[in-house]
Amino acid sequence: MAPAALLTPALAAGAPRVVSLDYGLASTLLGLAVTPVGISELSGWRDWVVEPAMPPKVAELGISTEPNLEILSALAPDLILVTPWLDAQIPRLTQFAPVLRLETFIWTGRPILDACIAATQTLAARIGREAEARHLLADMEALFADCRARLARHAGRAVVLAHFWDARHVRISADPSLFNDVLLRIGLRNAWTEPTGNWGFQTLPVEALSRVTDPGAMLLVFDPLPPGTFETLDRSPLWRALPLAQPERIRRMPPVLLLGMVNEAMRFARLVTEAVEADA
Amino acid sequence: MTWGMTRRLGPILVLALGIALLLWLLVAAPLSAQAAPGYDPVKMRLYHSTLPRLATAVIAGFALSLAGALFQQVLRNPLASPTTLGISAGAHLALVVATLFFPAHLGLGRDAVALLGSALVAGLIMALGARRGFSPLSLVLSGLVVSLWCGALAAILAYLNDRSMVSLFIWGAGSLSMQSWQIPLALGWKVGLLALCCLPLLRPLSLMDLGDGAAASLGVRLTRIRLAALAVAVALSALVTSAVGVIGFIGLVAPVLARLLGARGSPVFLLTSGLIGAALLLVTDTAIQLAAGQFSDLLPTGAITAVFGSPLLLVLLPRLKIRHRVIGGAVAPPQRMPRFALVLAALPLMVVVAVLLGRDAGGAWVMGTEMAALRLPRVMTALAAGAMLAVAGVLLQRLTGNEMASPEVLGISAGATLGLAASLFVLASPGLPVQLGFAGAGACAVLAVILLATRRTALAPERVLLAGIALGALVDALSGLLAATGDPRALALLRWMSGSTYNAAPGSAMLLCAAAVALALPALAARRWLDLLPLGPALAGALGVPVGRARLGLFALAGALSAVATLGIGPLSFVGLMAPHLAREAGLRRALPQTVGAALIGAALMVGADWLGRVLLFPWQIPAGLVAALMGAPFLIFLLFRRGRT
Repeated sequence: MAPAALLTPALAAGAPRVVSLDYGLASTLLGLAVTPVGISELSGWRDWVVEPAMPPKVAELGISTEPNLEILSALAPDLILVTPWLDAQIPRLTQFAPVLRLETFIWTGRPILDACIAATQTLAARIGREAEARHLLADMEALFADCRARLARHAGRAVVLAHFWDARHVRISADPSLFNDVLLRIGLRNAWTEPTGNWGFQTLPVEALSRVTDPGAMLLVFDPLPPGTFETLDRSPLWRALPLAQPERIRRMPPVLLLGMVNEAMRFARLVTEAVEADA
Repeated sequence: MTWGMTRRLGPILVLALGIALLLWLLVAAPLSAQAAPGYDPVKMRLYHSTLPRLATAVIAGFALSLAGALFQQVLRNPLASPTTLGISAGAHLALVVATLFFPAHLGLGRDAVALLGSALVAGLIMALGARRGFSPLSLVLSGLVVSLWCGALAAILAYLNDRSMVSLFIWGAGSLSMQSWQIPLALGWKVGLLALCCLPLLRPLSLMDLGDGAAASLGVRLTRIRLAALAVAVALSALVTSAVGVIGFIGLVAPVLARLLGARGSPVFLLTSGLIGAALLLVTDTAIQLAAGQFSDLLPTGAITAVFGSPLLLVLLPRLKIRHRVIGGAVAPPQRMPRFALVLAALPLMVVVAVLLGRDAGGAWVMGTEMAALRLPRVMTALAAGAMLAVAGVLLQRLTGNEMASPEVLGISAGATLGLAASLFVLASPGLPVQLGFAGAGACAVLAVILLATRRTALAPERVLLAGIALGALVDALSGLLAATGDPRALALLRWMSGSTYNAAPGSAMLLCAAAVALALPALAARRWLDLLPLGPALAGALGVPVGRARLGLFALAGALSAVATLGIGPLSFVGLMAPHLAREAGLRRALPQTVGAALIGAALMVGADWLGRVLLFPWQIPAGLVAALMGAPFLIFLLFRRGRT
């Protein structure tokens, strides 16, 4: 494919007006030094993605599955980025601008991290930012190598990746997910080995955590944590006796976007490395 | 031993053996396991998760079934239960609202919030019931409508707050997972106290079994006893909902079984119901725990009991005696000057506003035609769907003589929802036409079932409605089950259920408008039947209406109208409930003007709801169906209390 032939004049001129309907793709745009003109669910960016920060003057398009078409048409974008999650909307969106569909977090038979790397390269080629993509991916590899080296002492250490829904139920991330792939790259492994289906996570009652038998496993609890969760759990004898929940094995983590791409993989690697490294 | 006794004891023995077997399967292995030194996960799970969970199942099952038995006894209604009267759903909605909007105040007041929600619904249902002489079907119909409304609103509120969404669903679906004895202990003493409150009620309730007249002559204060028993039942339901969420239909199933086993007389009936309910929920939850070990996934107990319990309503229907009632004076509104001009003007005005008035990227109000091409298909879809729902509502209300009748209630919407759910879960990523095709197939399937079923039961209209509602409850339970697993596809389903016009394209909008015209014309043509049928089958037949054929045809028409409208606007708008009432309020009482007026009003309501949804939180969009439904509830209550006064 010769991407340059597909470009509209504005894109080729180096001022691409891109709209992203996915947090991971929007974050990748920023990684490629392109600020999107509009994204969906802008208002949740600071809570769910955190970094990289979204620059000001990006338009809010509302919920990703029903982006506001009046704003979309006013923005007159050159390109709209979607994931297969929005397949049903693609015919509609094509009326406003060419749509680029990139497979990132949905399991298609290859590791999620590989899919994200390929999607980053495809996106870069489409908007003429190949050099930036090479930088971004090289940064990622360098960061993974650095994390792996820092964690040499902890090589093969198992971690549990938990998001609490409430004080009785928890979501565990496992294979196949971006987080799982990154764990392997930085020399750790996922302590949760039960099959989780195609979305890479599973909702379980809290007592299921006692099925983790790995004596060295750490429990990483990601924000946002519902208010009062730990207060309620601390009154449970089961939780208090749970080896995973002992103060030396449990860590509270800042939010990281679960269904992200390269930037989120890097943020996850950095935060997990810091947490495990600090452990004696 | 006589055969009769064997017949009664047999099921009890089977149930007891089943419980023993399942419990043994669940508990034997961890109990007999070698004690591990130090931390012993097997024993910890047994003592602090499995056992408190079993205790909670016993307490919750007992409480809900006792509540159900009390409702059934006091209301003399074999279909009454915390689920079918909407009492659990009221507690659920109140708690969801409190969680989302006043989380800081929830700490100690959880039970109080649940009690408030349940009491409000109970008051509403009883007030509605009182006006229809507490007819069993009417009462349950109102209860299930309110229940579906509360459930849907809670789901949508959760969906709009996706941060806390899954946790609300898990709780709404009644998960019994436990990590300590806190919940069973706290629930245990409250339920025990309330059960004790039943003791002084036993004698008066037994006397009331002899008949109200006899009981009154023996000195029973009927109203006071009824109120006290209802209060205890409502409190029991609310406390269980507050502790573990909505556990569907146990409170209906257990008293039915108790009666089948021959429990006669209030004390025996109440006690047997409670014990059977405790045993049933214990069996169900033990089976779920065993199954969850196999599939290692979260199976919320309350949603499972609802999935298996809601079809029981269908089984119970033929056991009820129903007489067709003439619409009484209470339903007929006071005579008014027709306000047809107002009705006529509302729709064009609303359409102009909805097409021309909007907001720009900065949020400022803009009037103009630039965005008309984008807005027009949505406006037309809302218009056509609103009109069709309204006409279907008129048909159903006139056919059944029940002012709670509406297409949302017929189960057609539920069928469409199930079809869409199937398309999302069977195919990887179905396109829009495929989704619509599946939804249409689901709606048609339900319509066919309804037509077949009504052919057999001689078209008793309220049975049809109740069958539809039972289907709705089943869909509710299934979608709750899906949503609680956190599967993103459940989100797509919820989005559609909330009734967005977002996907309207010029072609589909035109098609919908054409369908609206094509389907509304036969309704207008049938105006004579519609005028005469509410007088009752005997009188209508004497006046020359072919009652059987007319009802069948009009039901089919209402079904078709609902199915097409549901595809356009989702299953939950309540426009089909509101528009016919508003038309009557405007003085349009005969079938023809009421149908035309309701269609105009329904269309204007839906266009208005769609417009509000588009501009209120701009650039975020609230689905039109949700906006319309939000208007529907206050309307219902307003109608109820104004009627109650006159």
